[in-house]
Amino acid sequence: MGETSVIGAGTVVSGHIRGQGSLEILGRVEGDVSVTGNVVIGPAGRVRGNVSGAQLSISGQVQGDLRGTLAVLLEAGARVAGDISAPRVGIAPGALARGHVQTDGESASAAARSPAPVARPLSPPLRVAPAPLAPVAPARVEAKPPAPVAPARVEAKPPPPVAPARVEAKPPAQKLEPKAPLPAPTPARADVKAPLPPPKLPPPNRELRKPDPPRVVAAAPPQAEFTPVRPIKPEPRRPPPPVVPVLSKGTKAKKKKSHD
Amino acid sequence: MAGTVIGEGLTIEGDISGDEEIVIHGNLRGRLTTTDAVTVGGTAVVGADITGASLSVAGQVTGDVTASERVDIQAGGKLVGDIKAARFTIADGASFKGNVDMEI
Amino acid sequence: MVLAFRPTPMPRHPLELSVVGTGTRITGRISGSGALRIEGTVKGDVNLQGDAEVAEGASVEGNLTGESLDIAGSLVGDARASGAIAVRGSARVHGELRGAEVSIEAGARVSVRLDTEFELDFGTAQKRR
Repeated sequence: MGETSVIGAGTVVSGHIRGQGSLEILGRVEGDVSVTGNVVIGPAGRVRGNVSGAQLSISGQVQGDLRGTLAVLLEAGARVAGDISAPRVGIAPGALARGHVQTDGESASAAARSPAPVARPLSPPLRVAPAPLAPVAPARVEAKPPAPVAPARVEAKPPPPVAPARVEAKPPAQKLEPKAPLPAPTPARADVKAPLPPPKLPPPNRELRKPDPPRVVAAAPPQAEFTPVRPIKPEPRRPPPPVVPVLSKGTKAKKKKSHD
Repeated sequence: MAGTVIGEGLTIEGDISGDEEIVIHGNLRGRLTTTDAVTVGGTAVVGADITGASLSVAGQVTGDVTASERVDIQAGGKLVGDIKAARFTIADGASFKGNVDMEI
Repeated sequence: MVLAFRPTPMPRHPLELSVVGTGTRITGRISGSGALRIEGTVKGDVNLQGDAEVAEGASVEGNLTGESLDIAGSLVGDARASGAIAVRGSARVHGELRGAEVSIEAGARVSVRLDTEFELDFGTAQKRR
């Protein structure tokens, strides 16, 4: 997994920390921390920034969001002001935390705000995928803004590759999957109906608000490859040409019996 | 030990339903339905229709009571409402106002 | 300093401890004094001047207010305590938790907002969130 780096008690790091391996912070970090291994923040450790890693063990103080792919554990004495998101979250008696804590799947607020730096340009379209948890209607409303750009195009092609209008489609999530660690939980969440009623919490609202027009327009260019210069109008179905029977002179018209 | 015990300091406004014994020492306003025994303690004030296997009233009950077995109003107990039960007793010193229907 | 955690002892006096049994369902408001242990289902707000416990397997849908709260079952609603809120590993909680102290055992499934009052102590130019 890589070595363990240590930021000593008397050290101050101003800037982002990123990389493989584990990290022990005994000093001070003013910036985001994003490692693939574990992060331990000692009792005197202070981090002003977001922290993400596999397992985070916090005994010091953090002003920022915490995201663990395995767990986030706050020991007694820890103080965290920020959102916490991990499959397992432990807050020991004596630890103080203020913010949103989420264990089920990916926290919407964490995905929206915490910058996993690699994935930042991709996170906007990602947010489109979570929208199915909300009623589908808002997603369709968001698809309308590009309508002036290509009205019939959006309607006529049911499975567009990047699909703001068809938020249920899995392709968008799968397409983004190889590029960032973030997407992995997202498709699963798109499948799972939220077991608990959502309306109380901010995150669902943020989901609804986030996919705003600019990001949907960004999805338009890929579609440009597939469409001809002129917008595709579905050809109106013409009725088949009438079959005109050849009648010989003198043929009497048959009266059909109509049943009332 | 009873399945559900509503202590003296507790007030419930709503419906209680279950399949176990219920003992009330506090206040209930609403409905009470169970398939087991119901005990209304001396300090209880109940404004509810009660349905159970049996009912013992030592406190105050205002409402109709239905028991598949028996209804007993203890001394000091008070029931204002109709009784529907196969057997019933009203102890000396108890209060009762209502009708009784002993299903035959 | 590590605060040793012990579960708040439930009063043994029968008139002070109420129990909503496993097979009981209450739809409505519960209020009053004394401790309450919920083993069944409660749909409605619970407002206690006493300790409340939501046992494993129990379900509360509504706001839960008490002196201290011990949650091992399911709670959908806000939890408010003047003292400590303990969320056990078997719990499922969705709502706001506000208490003097909130602890969560790893394994609990939560989607909660913690509203604990405290200040960060960064030493220099601290910013309170």
